[in-house]
Amino acid sequence: MSALGKIADSVDTYNQFVAAEVARARRDEKFAAELRAKWAQLHASIEMTKSPTGTPLPRLALPSTDEPGAIAEFLLGQGFPGQFPYATAAYREMYLDKDSEVERVVPNALGTTASGKSPRGGDNQRHPATVREEPMRLFAGLGLAEDTNARFKYLQRNQKSLRLSTAFDGPTLYGLDSDHEGVLGKVGEGGVAIDTVEDMTRLFAGFDLTRTDASVSMTMNAPAPVILAMFIAAAKRRFGPDCVANLRGTIQADMLKEVQAQNEVIFPVDASLRFLCDMIEWCVPNMPKWYPVSISGYHIAEAGATPVQQAAFTLSNGFTYAGLLQARGVDVNQFGPRLSFFLDCGLDVEYLVLGRVCRRIWAIGMRDVFQANAKAQILKLHTQTSGRSLIAAEFQNNLTRTAVELMLAYLNYTNSCHSNSADEPFTTPTEKYALLASHGQSIILEESGVFKHTMNLFGGAPGLLALERQVEKGILDVFREMDTLGGVITAMEQRYQRSKIQEAGHAYEKQVYANQRPIIGLNKYVSHEPLPSVPLARTSPKKQRLQVARLTAFKKKHAKKAPAALQRLENVARSGGNVFGELVNTVEVCSLGQITACLTNVVGKFRPMV
Amino acid sequence: MAAASTPRNAAPLRILTAVPVCDGHDSAVTTINIELARHGIEVIYLGYHQSAAAIVRAAIQEDVNVVGLSSYNGGHIVFFKEVCDQLRKSGNADIPVFGGGGGTITHADERVMQRQGTDRIYFAGTPLDAMMAQIKKDYARVAKPNRKFKGDRALARAISIVESAPARYSLPTTRYSNGAARRSYVVGVAGPGGAGKSTLIDELTSRFLRSNPTGRIALLANDPSHPDSGGAILGDRVSAIYAQDDRVFFRSLATRGSLTGLSAAAPAAIDILKQSGEFDLIFVESVGVGQESDPFRIFGKGPKLVDATLFVLAPYYGGLIQLQKIALLNGADLVALNKCDHPMAHTAKAEIQARLDQNGKDQVLHPTTAAKHYDPGVDTLYAAIARLGGLDLVRGGEKACFMEDPA
Repeated sequence: MSALGKIADSVDTYNQFVAAEVARARRDEKFAAELRAKWAQLHASIEMTKSPTGTPLPRLALPSTDEPGAIAEFLLGQGFPGQFPYATAAYREMYLDKDSEVERVVPNALGTTASGKSPRGGDNQRHPATVREEPMRLFAGLGLAEDTNARFKYLQRNQKSLRLSTAFDGPTLYGLDSDHEGVLGKVGEGGVAIDTVEDMTRLFAGFDLTRTDASVSMTMNAPAPVILAMFIAAAKRRFGPDCVANLRGTIQADMLKEVQAQNEVIFPVDASLRFLCDMIEWCVPNMPKWYPVSISGYHIAEAGATPVQQAAFTLSNGFTYAGLLQARGVDVNQFGPRLSFFLDCGLDVEYLVLGRVCRRIWAIGMRDVFQANAKAQILKLHTQTSGRSLIAAEFQNNLTRTAVELMLAYLNYTNSCHSNSADEPFTTPTEKYALLASHGQSIILEESGVFKHTMNLFGGAPGLLALERQVEKGILDVFREMDTLGGVITAMEQRYQRSKIQEAGHAYEKQVYANQRPIIGLNKYVSHEPLPSVPLARTSPKKQRLQVARLTAFKKKHAKKAPAALQRLENVARSGGNVFGELVNTVEVCSLGQITACLTNVVGKFRPMV
Repeated sequence: MAAASTPRNAAPLRILTAVPVCDGHDSAVTTINIELARHGIEVIYLGYHQSAAAIVRAAIQEDVNVVGLSSYNGGHIVFFKEVCDQLRKSGNADIPVFGGGGGTITHADERVMQRQGTDRIYFAGTPLDAMMAQIKKDYARVAKPNRKFKGDRALARAISIVESAPARYSLPTTRYSNGAARRSYVVGVAGPGGAGKSTLIDELTSRFLRSNPTGRIALLANDPSHPDSGGAILGDRVSAIYAQDDRVFFRSLATRGSLTGLSAAAPAAIDILKQSGEFDLIFVESVGVGQESDPFRIFGKGPKLVDATLFVLAPYYGGLIQLQKIALLNGADLVALNKCDHPMAHTAKAEIQARLDQNGKDQVLHPTTAAKHYDPGVDTLYAAIARLGGLDLVRGGEKACFMEDPA
């Protein structure tokens, strides 16, 4: 049995444990009394706040019950926010407005409270590990490094904390230099062109990446080790050699989902996984605030997977990385907290609970199969609204689609969130629509009162519970099917995930064409208006040539040192050493394309699957 | 039910589909591929992240009616122009190019692209059936001889002609062309579906390219046609990473109703390739076959289609009894047990070797793991083929790194 079978069993075992505890709470008076006391204590820890119109509200809502079975069901089945099994939320406060005046509540009975003002500081009743999230991260990348830098600055004007999320162009994603034969037209399209450490320096010019509220995210996979090495080298140039431990952010680097769905793969699977694990192993001690992998379902869903498949493939990929790292001798309690996740959020009903269910399965699997401690059990989630749900026809409707998806993402208490721009069916987001997308998040979280005052709006609601049970069962079924195939990697070699994703994608297309899946403006309430002419963000041939000129200058400057640096890298790669540890040096004098070619020479090329 | 199948006797349309370089968005193109095949079209799918040069090379060798490109991450104006330019410059401007990219390609872009040679762009919201009807209307044509075609295109067209009327091609009586032309060594590759034949052939191709710095190799990949629609998805090129080289001539053949394991045109196509004098080595891959089939006429009385046969199987063949039933094991010159990283491989090696010993022909079993980079088992297998075919095993006077003798 692969780990997947054990994980599916551990979730079932946990569910049986919850059911048994609920039954015990209902018949064992002593246990019932303990639960009631605990419940009262938790209620006592809840502060009160007021809406701007004066309505008093609790800062945390718990199910309105004092029946011991129901208390056990919530605390064990769902979890108090920030506690195992984390279905409710990763942290206790999440999006609560930290500046609101709060009062402490002294519960006498359910529903009615006596209250007294409490000073904010020095209150030992306050939850000790208060972590609040500021989820907005807007993905940006276009043209050359300075163009993306300007877009970062533009977006930053509307954000509270420093949150930079980088999209790279096609050649960079495939590890190619901008002067590679036949790629010039792709340079700076759909993302930023990065060839060298000098481009990386330009990309983040003017931002203090060592600020405690700074967080940089990079959507980069196959060449992730090279790009992160460039990021480190660029940061060291600006902030000195000691800055590395303070760098905070995420690099996607999820190679399993690349093979399964997104197709940006350079090296054979075993080599890709080795380079990734080398990077994680290096980052765990050296970059303790960095997330060296973001285990992603987004591309799996965009390629066609159903929400259940998205969750099942993403979680199973995560457990596979955990197994690989453990097999290398890395401590689960060291790497566990450095794994992060990334899900797509579309309009299907399952998205109401997908994040909740994923947190729960991850926590149980990590605790009971990988023996991880509490910090290593928490699934930290980034969400992006669905690109596939955006439609060219009557594209302004995309604003509404994205807003609904944002609500679903927040209801799952995602830790981080990107909202798509309405013009994305046509173009890399233009300034206007990128700003509207950013404001969409601010309107929901800051302007509207929905998430500001009370944490846990719906957790434990009957509709959610019913859906959670079905979605969880669907995910475990997929785990078990993959288990019979020998686990994630063996299933992947038999193209199991690709087949399932493609099958679901075709089913979706069929539903759209057969009008069984209404899409407003496309197959329902169609206005037949011609497609609008929207402004496009594209990179001029002049800029593309400039990038090549810069690269040529870099290669010329380092022509003497590059061969020796590449030779050292090759030696480390051949001898089975930690490639990432050497890359940090190689990027000082070598370009991305030179490094890719060197590593390909050692490990070979990926053979694509249909 | 099959949608609007091609009328009988008319050769199916052949379309090359691909996704441009640095673009991995393949969900639209895989949907389109299925639709095209369902409409009786033979789709040669090249894959994602494909350079203009690779697309043009494949279009020429496959002699397709048209090229369809699915582009989703920008740069389409430059890329489509590059494909059209390369087709024109190589004397193949008769192959049109169409494309689609959801909303990423605008109507204004289409106008520019049409001026630069692209035939048509399909926009978001085009119903698939309408698209299929338009494609059939625009690109149906009968393959006729064309004296202007040179090099690989001339070869490819000759194969297209025999494909549309295989019965009319009479095999010459001499098996090899005389004169100074290269002598081709022809290896037929058969084995059950899923044994890894295509990957193994690709790895053998890489050994050929490394040990013969100027030679050429041809690959004929046979794949089944859909019995109802008559269409096919010919996807062998996707994983043939070493075939992306001008020294490799790769041709996909749909079986078009032939039940031998090869297209009815395969014998003529082999002959055309041999007569061309271009190739040192030719691999002919049959569709997945097992018991009771003889694609290369190993046991028959007529001439064998190939000089040697390579039978490939994977460790999970189903036990000794199943092994006894595989007749091709009796006649195969070379036998490879692929996927030797599988837990069953150890047992399989012993069982297959015992089965070969029964034949009393000194057949050697070659254990390979083609999916592994630089697998020494593949090196040994290639060395065996090279010895049989009298091919070079050295490069630049220096012993090639993979050339280890099994003895």
